Amino acid sequence: MKGALAVYQKELRLYFRSPIAYFVMAIFLVGTGYFFTYSIFLTGNARMTETFQNMAILLLLVLPVVSMRLFTSEYNGRTMELLATLPLRPWQIVLGKFAGAVTILLLMTAGTLIDVVPLYLFGNPEGMTILSGYIGFILLGMTCLAIGQLFSALTQNQIVAALITVAVLLAFWFIANAQRFQTSYAWRNVLGYLSFSRHFEEFVQGLVRTESVIFYLVVCAIALILNTSYLRWQR
Amino acid sequence: MITLESVSKRYGSQTVIHDLSFSVEKGEIVGFLGPNGSGKTTTLRMIAGYTTASAGRVSVAGYDMATQNDTAASHIGYLPEHPPLYDTLDVTAYLRFVAKAKGVARSEVASEFDRVVAACRLEDVARREIYKLSKGYRQRVGLAQALLGKPQVLLLDEPTIGLDPGQLHEARDIIRSFGAEHAVLFSTHILSEVTMICKRVAIINNGRLLAIDSPSGLQQALEQTNRVSLQVTAPVDELRQELLSVDGVRSVEVEADGDRLQVECQIEPRDGVEAAIARAVAPRWPLHSLGRQEPTLENIFLQYVSEG
Repeated sequence: MKGALAVYQKELRLYFRSPIAYFVMAIFLVGTGYFFTYSIFLTGNARMTETFQNMAILLLLVLPVVSMRLFTSEYNGRTMELLATLPLRPWQIVLGKFAGAVTILLLMTAGTLIDVVPLYLFGNPEGMTILSGYIGFILLGMTCLAIGQLFSALTQNQIVAALITVAVLLAFWFIANAQRFQTSYAWRNVLGYLSFSRHFEEFVQGLVRTESVIFYLVVCAIALILNTSYLRWQR
Repeated sequence: MITLESVSKRYGSQTVIHDLSFSVEKGEIVGFLGPNGSGKTTTLRMIAGYTTASAGRVSVAGYDMATQNDTAASHIGYLPEHPPLYDTLDVTAYLRFVAKAKGVARSEVASEFDRVVAACRLEDVARREIYKLSKGYRQRVGLAQALLGKPQVLLLDEPTIGLDPGQLHEARDIIRSFGAEHAVLFSTHILSEVTMICKRVAIINNGRLLAIDSPSGLQQALEQTNRVSLQVTAPVDELRQELLSVDGVRSVEVEADGDRLQVECQIEPRDGVEAAIARAVAPRWPLHSLGRQEPTLENIFLQYVSEG
């Protein structure tokens, strides 16, 4: 675990010594602020449902920018040779990097809590619904980061890594739309189950189902395991 | 400490390292000498565990790199050809990261940091971001990270490349000081460097080990193959014919130097050829000088590389 912790601390330092983390957080917070204000004035209801929906789409576009540098920068800076020859196991490298990116996600999420303040000041929101929305938001974000980190390891180019990640995330987000082209009941089920948006919708409505939590955690784990296997294979 | 037994490396159908075997003991600095593209970096990467051997066995500190890579890694300090530095970190943050990743105990990180900073003379730049450092300092930061955690084996891939003469001198002093405590294998294509620093030299070309011996041992091995040079006043063609007819002379190169001829003869590796040349030339033409060229490491290297 010590090795993963060392990688984690290094990642955080690197994030905050480059403009990317600040830039991404600023874009995200300005975006969520706009969506929040817009939805509140449009509906007049003290709830976060629409805001969460828009935040999720923004997240799919913004997080690949956070994850794209995780491995590509190691390849381009020729520091992969150091990481691979230090007494670190591949899973420690993968986990340390992932934890660093998740910390950025948590900071971004924490920044949006400021939106909740006026809800409580001027209305009577459902606290548990907002909490479940945030749980879903973080689980979705973690999954996006794990997928982004995998593609960052698979390519040497940051832009390519980000674009592939955005494409894959959007595909998973909208995959349920393909249901209407399927007559097979089983396929319709599979497509619905794979949909990031369907699971996220449940959280936003205040429903924390074990099945949805496990879905995000499993996708996350699969991406991280593939990432670890790829590093091992590279040797 | 480092042992390679019949190691080969293939990329697809291309074999870049052929049946390489040698070892480096503790307290020894071995120079790994070869032209660019000869397989030095690939060999060091296999020893460092960055890539695996396609055949044969690489072991470091008694651990097989194919199966005990992770355990062996804590005994290895490795400086790749391009120092692996995080430009936006400062030197302190970078070295502390490497120390922690190498498993240095939390209580010892500070003292270990001080030790390598002093050994590599980095005190003046310890708080500076790495991207602001000169090439010489960057190289030294790379060396410092390799030294962290007191590894038994140091692998340095062209550690002196691109340094100015002052930096070169310092870098060599630093490497020399490692020799007592570590097994050091360092690659270079600067010939004078190995005579200054190394106990032994391994010469590699096209992925094959051509020789491994002390610099003086290599010199002795090739002493008999040196060249004889002479200055004579004589007609070129007749002199060439006369010299080639001497038993033991392999080839003759003649260059005019005013009315004198500057002649270089490649001779066979046995005694008496020099005297035979003198007996053939002196009675017919004025022989101004005749002598053997001492083999320099450069000649030895070129000879091995051209033969290999």
